[in-house]
Amino acid sequence: MLRRAVALILTLCLLSAASLLAARPALAHGFEGRYDLPVPLWLYLYGSAAAVLLSFVVVGLFVGKDHAPQHYPRYDLLSLGAFRRVFASRPLLFGLRLVSVALFLVVILSGLFGDQFPGNNFAPTFVWIVWWVGFSLLVAFVGNLWPLVSPWKVLFEWADRLSRRLGATDGLKLGEPYPKRWSLWPALAVFFTFVWVELVFKGSDTPLNVALFALLYSVLTWFGMVLFGKETWLRNGEAFAVFFGVLARFAPTEVRVTSSETCRACAACIDEEGGCVNCYGCFERANPGARELNLRPPAVGLTRSERVTPAGLAFVVFMLASVTFDGLSATPLWRAIERSVTPVVGELAAGTLGLVAVPLLFLAAYAGFVKLSQLLAGGYKHGTRFGQLAAAYAFSLVPIALAYQVAHYYTVLIFNGQIAIVQISDPLGRGWDLFGTAGYQVNNAVLGAAFVWYSQVALIVAGHVIAVYLAHVISLRQIKDRRRALRSQYPMLALMVLYTVLSLWIISQPIVG
Amino acid sequence: MVRVAVLGLVAVLVLGGLFVALRPDAPATGPEGRTVEVDLQADAMNPAEVTVGEGDRVTLRFTADRPRELHLHGYDREVEVEPGETTTLSLEATLTGRFEVEDHDTGAGRGALIVQPRQGG
Repeated sequence: MLRRAVALILTLCLLSAASLLAARPALAHGFEGRYDLPVPLWLYLYGSAAAVLLSFVVVGLFVGKDHAPQHYPRYDLLSLGAFRRVFASRPLLFGLRLVSVALFLVVILSGLFGDQFPGNNFAPTFVWIVWWVGFSLLVAFVGNLWPLVSPWKVLFEWADRLSRRLGATDGLKLGEPYPKRWSLWPALAVFFTFVWVELVFKGSDTPLNVALFALLYSVLTWFGMVLFGKETWLRNGEAFAVFFGVLARFAPTEVRVTSSETCRACAACIDEEGGCVNCYGCFERANPGARELNLRPPAVGLTRSERVTPAGLAFVVFMLASVTFDGLSATPLWRAIERSVTPVVGELAAGTLGLVAVPLLFLAAYAGFVKLSQLLAGGYKHGTRFGQLAAAYAFSLVPIALAYQVAHYYTVLIFNGQIAIVQISDPLGRGWDLFGTAGYQVNNAVLGAAFVWYSQVALIVAGHVIAVYLAHVISLRQIKDRRRALRSQYPMLALMVLYTVLSLWIISQPIVG
Repeated sequence: MVRVAVLGLVAVLVLGGLFVALRPDAPATGPEGRTVEVDLQADAMNPAEVTVGEGDRVTLRFTADRPRELHLHGYDREVEVEPGETTTLSLEATLTGRFEVEDHDTGAGRGALIVQPRQGG
């Protein structure tokens, strides 16, 4: 039953994807028009020097400390009556969900029926700029709103509730057990496909393609939810739930359930303190009295690496590598490599090979440095397991990737994102003016190029410093002996410096094509 | 506590000093007037990139092999070029960055106007 269902759905997806690739010609690039200037050489060198210097400052500041702080300070926002009444009120939550579903429908309709020039259509602007860039940054810097507003989750829940009212006792659930071996690999496969569409596929700006891919993803997601159960699919197969979940570890907020009975009944979460953090399923099921919405210092969530599976580690590594590949693929060096490979295999295959090769190289380099770190910590004899160390340290690299992502894309959000203000009033490009904003003139004087340079370098160096601090905390938690813990940090420090310098190098390169 | 203060101070001094040492001085000359001849042949802009300084008064003189409607992003200017004629586009380069020049109807990029900031570039 399971195998046949999976085969059916995969065939469906592949057929649709193939038809998408074959059918439309890639529309010429008309989406963006303003680009950042490459960071000048002196500033790139300065940034690199600052990263190295500050790394040693951070290490120096903590060299004398005996142990890493075991608990981070946190404050429960739900304990504030005013906060609870405003932000946890049913009407507000319902309103947010309604807005999310409405935007989803507008994206589909604009993509299918609107003007196919990306500059006039709401769908590509909303998906690639407002949601992919903007919402990601919201999750990373405020908190994970995806479990609240994901249109796929919301629509499934509404349909499920309706089906129960209509008599189906189990709702929309087929109850097929999820094979443990699959772990998070389905989510990784889907995420890889998404990144491929974003970075390699040439037609990703075409509104029709955006709508069709969204519909395809809906079919896949709802099928997974029906087959295996909503929560199981969200945890293992819904690529964006997993992606935003990783970003949420950086965020200065978390949801926590303080009742161990709720958490013990949940297959996926554990906590030393008898509760669970950021397990949204438990949060929904728990008693209101056992729920906390905590304010916490940013990035501390990345020091928790409980039960990260190999698939989970692969997901994080791919996330990091795909952010780098995004920037790398626009550099002259990459274009030169592509030019020599393309005559042999074609453009699409060349890009795909790159999207596979860069993460694999990344993984190999990462594994090498973790191994070095393990050896300096005394190796297996002294209780440090490679897999455990690898899983823990992977999260410490997230701030570097996140900083690069913000540095690279915040100007796209600020400049090109303004088009969304026009397009929300005229999503199909027909000349409508639904909200009165269709005449809005995009302001291109918001930021000067020099300010952008300084802010980009500052962000990347800040991300690096946070990463170094996290690696320090993680090493002290993983390795009991303090001296060994300190020694074992140096390979990770070297890796981080290399990663940061690579990020700075990318933004100092002229844009090609 | 003393160690934190000392380390912090040293870091600030070194970082500040390095910044001042590495940053290029502001150029001696102020904004100037520039005129650039831009030719469009067979879907390529020649020169492909026009680089000017912030504040320059720029005059672009366009010629083309066939009738074209060009759009300059950022400055949001349109120019229609007819074969055999030279069309002039004048602007003051107040916005810094890289701005694409594209064919208005197809949206295909042809080249770019690059405006470099006065200091730091």
